[in-house]
Formats: sequence, structure tokens, C-alpha cells
Amino acid sequence: MTPAYATFGEVAAERRIASAPLSHVSIELGHLYMEDFQAGPERLREQFRQVAPWAETMRRSWQSRVPGGRARVSTCFLIDDYFSRFSTPAELVPMVLEAAAECDLTIDYLARESACAEADGVKLARLVEDRLVTDPPADTNGARPPVTETGWLCNGARSPHGGAVQAMGSARGWEPPAQNAKRRHSIFVDVELWDTDSRGRTWSCPFLAAVWQLLRLGLIRNEGELPVRPRPRGPSFPSDWDELPAIVQLNPAAAPFSAYSTLSVLSSRFLPVELAVRTILSQVFVDAEVLGQVAARSAGEGIPLRDELVDRISYVFLGV
Amino acid sequence: MLVMGEVRTGLLQNSGEIPESLCQSVLGLLSGERVRVSRRPIVYAVSPDQLTGVDCRLASASRARVRGVGTVLSRASVTGGRLLQGSSHIRVVRSESDHRLSWSHYLARAGVVEVFGKVRVPDLAEGFAENGARDDCLDLGSVSERFMDAVQASPFLDRKAPFRSARTRLRWVAECGGPGSTGTGNTSAGTGAGAASGSAASGGAEIPGTGVLSPEGPAIRFTLGRDQVRTLRLVLPGGFTPGVVDFCEDLALHDWLLTTLLVIVERARVGTATRGEVTAKLAPAVDHLLHLWMPAARLDEGFAPFWETLERRPGFSRQWQSLVERVRDQIAINTLALLREAGGW
Repeated sequence: MTPAYATFGEVAAERRIASAPLSHVSIELGHLYMEDFQAGPERLREQFRQVAPWAETMRRSWQSRVPGGRARVSTCFLIDDYFSRFSTPAELVPMVLEAAAECDLTIDYLARESACAEADGVKLARLVEDRLVTDPPADTNGARPPVTETGWLCNGARSPHGGAVQAMGSARGWEPPAQNAKRRHSIFVDVELWDTDSRGRTWSCPFLAAVWQLLRLGLIRNEGELPVRPRPRGPSFPSDWDELPAIVQLNPAAAPFSAYSTLSVLSSRFLPVELAVRTILSQVFVDAEVLGQVAARSAGEGIPLRDELVDRISYVFLGV
Repeated sequence: MLVMGEVRTGLLQNSGEIPESLCQSVLGLLSGERVRVSRRPIVYAVSPDQLTGVDCRLASASRARVRGVGTVLSRASVTGGRLLQGSSHIRVVRSESDHRLSWSHYLARAGVVEVFGKVRVPDLAEGFAENGARDDCLDLGSVSERFMDAVQASPFLDRKAPFRSARTRLRWVAECGGPGSTGTGNTSAGTGAGAASGSAASGGAEIPGTGVLSPEGPAIRFTLGRDQVRTLRLVLPGGFTPGVVDFCEDLALHDWLLTTLLVIVERARVGTATRGEVTAKLAPAVDHLLHLWMPAARLDEGFAPFWETLERRPGFSRQWQSLVERVRDQIAINTLALLREAGGW
């Protein structure tokens, strides 16, 4: 009798990871906070006027890289409804769209900042927090759990606690913190991830912005599924932010929301925030299978991607 | 490529075995990620992979100072709802840089530790296998232990083990040849779909040198050490596959079963204690251990020859069978004695 080859599989033993549709680049045209809104529509128009040429440059750059110029470029706009609630979608969204249109910009997707904390019942911020793998200072050999300050994340070793008294009774002087990957001198960054009060945990702006970047890069999964899918806009916008989907697709013909790379065009006042975002993202472990999917897809298109996800993010910082 | 790991094995701290449904809660160490469960031929549940960052010395036989930076890949698993394992491993490659890079570089290479300067494979392999975490060197055992502790601390467990048992430690080193061990530089374009199997761009460079076992074909050496420490040396000319880790965990599991059953039989003081006492001491083995023996149950075909070799020498299943028969014979004799007392024959 010839041997028979049997294969056996078990569904619960296999991992299934959904893949995200991907553009070449996701361009963030702006990020609206209450103070911008209070400054009136002229501030918004001014911002879009400044952003437009950069967005165009990025679009052209991708068109020249992709055969036939068929670059997939999507644009997005983030509104803060997490730290402060102002106006209503019904009032605000048309104003934003109008201001963008005046500068020949199309906003493909509109997202709410609170969606970065929780969207469609998935606690995205928690998901990302669980995937932080802290940057180890020298002499971290695994024998002890990583040294962490709850709710903070840094890129090195913190200064020893002040007021410590050494043996022999002499007070210990100040010792500097140190960056782990320093080149001779340190640039030490310590980022607050969240704080708590009577209402519970409030995630920090850089942490939510890190989640935002990961969403735009299509790198978050919840139980193998995409946690947030953009939903088409309805005939009108609701009067309550909570009724607005986490990500609304405004342009039916838009390229996919997530992309191989991102560009954010921001006021230079966001520079420290983005340094913090990069400090966080440098310590987020993205599922190897998800990374592999994205890498395989981009390689199939002849577009090499950087292994390190922070290298897939570009910025333009604008002066006031 | 050099791959090394440490598996810790012990009894799940619960009075009975836990059902499959509870494995999800107990091993769910990472939100948004499912615990994988396989039911045939024995229920086996494994946690999502976890990473731990390290920057430290690696043990070397020559005591050379070798510094490595990277991430340790770990997971916890429960077999038969009864046995808990914490397992960690790293793949060692030579860094292409002479200084530490930004952390994102290392996080893009899960489970890879990059070493600086010139190193020799046998030196590192020998150092790790023989010395483990001496002198603040990389301590994979403690990492494994922490994930085990995290599982044992689950509120779903009653923390009442049915008998006392010790955790065993299996340190393993595999010298892997073949493709896939050479660095590809900074971009992942060349790795394509290969990265999907968890072997994301390795970065770094191959460390030259052949093993001390056999430079030709596959080889295995299993050593029973003191203090519940076992070492396993492997030579895999075909290159690294994740199946190596499964094999080492499987071996660690069966070594623990054998070790623990030996202790139970020894504690029963057959021939010294009364038959009733002996049976009472042996009962937990029947209740909790005997059905768990299933070597090579889920292994890649490629590792079957290793198990076969170990079955010849030292003969794991032979020893297990003999112990199991001894336990059953003791219980049978006691049953007969009880029947005789009850029936008066």
C-alpha cells in the first residue's frame, strides 16, 4: 500500500489577519482644536492655503514614482472632540469642507480624535499601550521586569531619584538622564501617556496622535480584524459628535484611507508633540504578520518600504 | 545563525485541569489578540507572542565581553489544561553598526538580538548552554518565568496545586545553517511575503563558525544537569524554522513529566510505606499526569528524527512506560489487597 498524505488543520489554532486596503500616501491636511475653531473660518482658510502646495508636491512626487502616474493619495482631517467639545458636526464639517474647497483641497476622510481612544467599541489606545515594548537602557538583561513609571514612556534612563542618600550618609548629587541610542550627547525625552482623575483615564495628545499614525499606516488589528473602517457620509451631518462615525469617508472616489506612508502638514507648535509621537511609535511592536502583509504588498508594487515604521512618516512644519 | 532559548515548565496552579474555554482568559496576556488553541491530539493553548527589550552581555565560554541589543520573543502555553510553560528565545546576528541604533530598528526585528564586534558561534553557544545568566548576562529564563508568573496570577486559577512539583529549566541552543540567516540591510522589499511567517527582516550579518557537535548533518545533544537544569544543543543544517521552538518546548514538557513522575514514585516509598499510603501518594499521577504523555504530537515532520534519536537514548518513552506500569501495578496490587480484605479471600 502506498502511504497516504494527510493534512490536518484547526481553525482555532491558526491566526487570520485581515489586510487593509492601502494607498501610497495618506496626507493629513490639518488638525483642528477648539482654539483654531474659535479663531474663526479665516484661520482655517489660511491654514489650508499654506498646506495646499505641500500636499500637491507630495502628490506629484508619488505620481512620478508610480508607473503611469497612478498614485493612490488620500487626504484626511482630524477634529478634536476628545479634549474639548465644541460646535457640532452639522455646523463645523460643512465649514471645514468649504474652506478646503476654496483652496482647491479635497478632504477625503474626516476623523474624530476620540476615535483614537476608542472606536466602534474597540479600545484602540489600550491596544497600542499593550504593544509598547520599552526601549531598554544598557545592562537590561531580562532578569527583572522593565523599569517603568506608570503612565510615562522615555527613550533612555531617567535621572536617579533626587534626595537619595548614599552609604556613608552623603547626599547624592544630580545625575543626568541618558538617551539609550545617544551619539555622544543625549536628547532625553519622557512622554506622559495618560493621567487619571475622577472621570477615569485621559490619554495624552501625543499618545492619541501615535494611534492616529498607526491607523493611517494600516498597522492596527483587533483579534485579526481591522478595528475601524471608514463609513460613507450620510446626507447630512449629525448634531452630536458621538453620532458621527469614527472615520467618515467624504469623497466616494477617494483612495484607501490607510497608506504605506504618511505626511502630516502641521503648525510648528506641534513639533514637540510629534517628537513625543515618534518616541512612542519607536516603542510600539506591530504584529510581524501585519508588517509582512504590508511589506509584501509594497514589494509587489516595486515600492520598498522602510522596516522602521517611524521612517514611513513625514512632516512639514509650518511657521505661523 | 545561532538561536537560543530557555523553556520553563511547571504545573498550572489549579486544583484540576482547566477547560479549553478558560485557556483564553488565562493566557490572554495581550488585548486584541486571540489565544490559539489546538485540540488534537491533546488540548494545547498558546498565548500571543510577547517581546522584551534587552541590552546586555551575552554569556560566552571564553568570558569575552559580547554585548547584544534587541528583543526576546516569548510565549506562555498550557497543555492538557494542566501543564504551564514559559518559553523565550532569540536569534543572534552580528550588528552591521558599531553603536546602538534607535529602538525602532530593533523592534522591526522581533526576536533578534544584534551583537557588536567579532564573535564566534561556538563560544556563545557554549557560554549560554553551560552558564546561563551568569555575571548579569542575558537571562532568558527569568523572562520566561515572568510570563509563567503572569499566567499563574490569573484570577481564574484557584492556586491549589494537587501535589508539589518543581519547575524545570531547559536551555537550548541551535546552530542553524542554510538560507535566511544573512542580513538584507534596511529595506524589507527583498524579503517580501517571507516576513509574514514571523521571520521579519533579520538585519545584521551571519556569524561565521560551525558548531562543536557536527558540521555535517543534523545533530542533537541533551544533557541532564543539576537543579532541574537541562541543556539541549542542536545543529540544524537546514536553517531556522519556528518549529525549533515547538520541538524544544515539547521536549521540555515531556522531560518535566518524566522528572515529576519519578519524584512522585520516589515519594511513594514503594515497599516501605503501607499499600494504602503508597496508593494515596501515587493517585495524583493517575489523576493529573499519565494521560499527558504524547511526544512529538504537534511537531513539524522535520523534527521527528530528533525525537526518534532521543527515544533510543536516553529512551524517554521507555522510562515513562516502565514508570506508568509500576504506578498501575502498585494500584492494582492495593486493589487486590483491599478486595481480599473485604471478601475474606
